[in-house]
This record gives sequence, C-alpha cells and structure tokens, in this order.
Amino acid sequence: MNNEHNARPLPTTIPEYLEQLRAALSGADPAMIQDALYDAEEYLRSELAEQAGKSEAEVIAGVAGSYGAPEEVAEIYRETEVTVNRALRTPLPGRRPAPPPPPAAGVAAAAATATAVPKPRSAAARFFGVVLDPHTYGALFYMLLSLVTGIFFFTWVVTGLSLSVSLLILIVGIPVLLLFLGSVRVLSLVEGRIIETLLGVRMPRRPAYTDRSQGWLARIGAMFTDGRTWLTMLYFVLMLPLGVAYFSVATTLLSTSLALVFAPVAEVVFDQPVGIWVDGVKMASGAWLWPLSIAAGLALLFATLHLARAIGRLHGAVAKHLLVRL
Amino acid sequence: MGDVEAQLRKFQKELSAGTVSLALLAVLARAGEPLYGYLIAKELERTGDGVLSGKQSALYPVLRNLEGAGLLESHVEPSVAGPPRRYYRINDEGRTVLKQWIAAWNATRDSLESVLEGVER
Repeated sequence: MNNEHNARPLPTTIPEYLEQLRAALSGADPAMIQDALYDAEEYLRSELAEQAGKSEAEVIAGVAGSYGAPEEVAEIYRETEVTVNRALRTPLPGRRPAPPPPPAAGVAAAAATATAVPKPRSAAARFFGVVLDPHTYGALFYMLLSLVTGIFFFTWVVTGLSLSVSLLILIVGIPVLLLFLGSVRVLSLVEGRIIETLLGVRMPRRPAYTDRSQGWLARIGAMFTDGRTWLTMLYFVLMLPLGVAYFSVATTLLSTSLALVFAPVAEVVFDQPVGIWVDGVKMASGAWLWPLSIAAGLALLFATLHLARAIGRLHGAVAKHLLVRL
Repeated sequence: MGDVEAQLRKFQKELSAGTVSLALLAVLARAGEPLYGYLIAKELERTGDGVLSGKQSALYPVLRNLEGAGLLESHVEPSVAGPPRRYYRINDEGRTVLKQWIAAWNATRDSLESVLEGVER
C-alpha cells in the first residue's frame, strides 16, 4: 500500500500540492474536499512562513513527513469522514445511515469490518418512520424558512449585480462589484450551514480555496472565470421561486391536513358546523364523517411529511451541485 | 517480516485513534490561549511525538469534531501568511470532559501496566 504513495513525484509548490490532494480525493464528497484543501493550505502556508529561509520545494518535502504526502492526507480524510459520519449520526429507527463514500483501496478492508449491515425494514415501518426522522422536520422548517431566505438572496443578487454593473462606468463600480462577489461567497457558506443543519446534507465548513500566490488582479480575474461564482448566483436567484413554492406547498398541505384532523374538535368545542359543502349546498354532515375526516387528515399529514423529506433531499442535491461543485 | 510491521502500524493507528482527542484537549487546556491547527500540530510534535502515529493532517478533522461536540470554541482571524486561521479554545464543558477522560486514561494505564508486568520485554 505504500508503493502507490511513492509513485508520484512530490509536488514542489503549494498549488501543485493542493492539486495533487484534490486529484487524490477525487470521487469523495465535494464538501469534504473543500475542507481538506482549506486545512492543507493553512498548514502549508504556516510552515512556509515559519521557515522563511527555505524554498517552497524544501518546505513541502519536509511537510510530506509531518503533515503527509497528498495521497496519505487523502486517505486520512476519507477514513475520518467514514468514522465521523458513523459516530455523529446516531442511527434512528426511521432512517438508515447514509452509505459511506467509496473508500480508497487501503481503507476498504477497515471499512468493511466496521460497517454493520442494516436490517431491511417493513413498508409500514418505512412509512411511519418518517415521523421519527429529524430531517423531516428540518426539511419542513427549511421549506417555511426558504420564503424569507429566498427573497433575501434574490434581492441581494439582483440589487448587487445591477448596482455594481451599472456603476462600472464610474470607477466606484469596481470596489462595489468586488464587495458584492465576496458577499456572495459568504452567503453561499451560510446557506450551506443552514442546509447541513436542517437537511442533513454534508456541505463545506470552510470557504472555497483560492490560490493566494497570485496577484490581486489574477485573483479577481479568477473570481469571474470561476463557474461557482455564477452558479451560486443562479442558485440565489432560483431561491425566490423555489422558496415561494416550498412555502406555499408546506403551508397549504399542513393547514389542510391539520384542519381535517381537528375538524371534529371544532364542532364539539367551538360549535362550528362541520361537513362537506359544494357551492354552499350541504352535501353531508354528522358524526359519521368524523373518523373519515381524521383518517383523511392523518393520511394527508403523513404524505406531507414524506413530501417534505423528499423535497429536502432534492433541494440538498441541487444546492450541492450549484454551491460546491468543484 | 512485513506482516509484523503491518501489525505494528495497525496497532499504532488504533492507539492514536483512541487517544488523539485526549491529546488535543490537553494541549488546548494547557496552552491557555487560542491556537490554530498548525500551532497545535507543532506543539504536539514537540511534546508528544508518537501520539499521532500517523500524519498531522489527521488532527484537523478531529478538531472539527471536538468543536461539533461542543468541547471547543473557535473563531477566525485573518493571517498574512495564507487563508484566515481558525483558532480553537477549550470551553468549560471541554475542561469537564477532559477531567473525566484523564481519570479514564489513568485507570486504563494503571490496569494495563499491571497486566503487562512480568511479561518478558
């Protein structure tokens, strides 16, 4: 297993090291890759600043011994991610743990011994298990919250973009544009944290890696050519219609199902007439409707929870593609 | 021969997996000031070489986990050398946990030593 580490020549510059690390991590969770690159850069730059006299290549050669060569670091991160996911996500009755990311060759053996095979669950358990899944409620809350965040993100991007582009004819447009682009990156990280907390999709915990060895102009240029900048803005613009749709679906379905469940209470406690009206003509009413109403309400409630969880997963996947694609 | 070496490496890896959280908490408790990843790695290298049988890159994910578990607090400061650094500081809960862990470690060490006594070196 050591032979493959020696196969590639050691990188001589920090960007090269990070590039090799990214290559070694390919196929892993993009959010984890972003974190790993950030950690490695912090270490490398600190080491370089510490040993001022030495060349970059010498420092990296030393680092390969202490911090690890790119392939070793990649393996460590893959392993830690598997164990951490297993430790942090306490298994729930309503949810099977997510399958670990495809491990590297060296990790396969270790992972195989530790992974418990989940028992297949009955259809009823899967259907009712949704109640015990915290991500269901997270997703439901996210759907309600997304109206607010969606309006904010949309306004921010549209205002920022039109303001900075129109000011570009004056010189002040340039700093405004740069501030705006920076703010989009910060908001992307914030949205990522919200999504990971509420939807349980692994998102980056550190900002995206930027090559600091280049000059200011090159880095500004990189912001424009980086597809992620534009995809993030696209995501924020999309959040308005999505947020409105999520909010409407969540409130409509929740209020309808809860109204059906509690309709008998309204009749008994508040003396409100309960029944079925079509165009103001009473079609049916009476106590025999109550169990039907409660049953229909419960069925709709469970359907809503399932829908919320599904939307949560779907939205998490969309966010991952638009916000952390590497 | 390689087999014996592989066994040793595996054992060292397991040992360090079990103790690295304790070592990190101890370093941060002793430091008295917030430290960032690189400084923690160097401190560990200076005083406790061998705790991390593997590479220092392993401690960054562990730091994040300890923070996620509420034992550490962190803040970000910009740096001239590279990307902004995340400084970690142990909090009260971390100190409480560290005390318990030290007691558990001492108990483990004592019982292990008494087991190992008399074994031919």
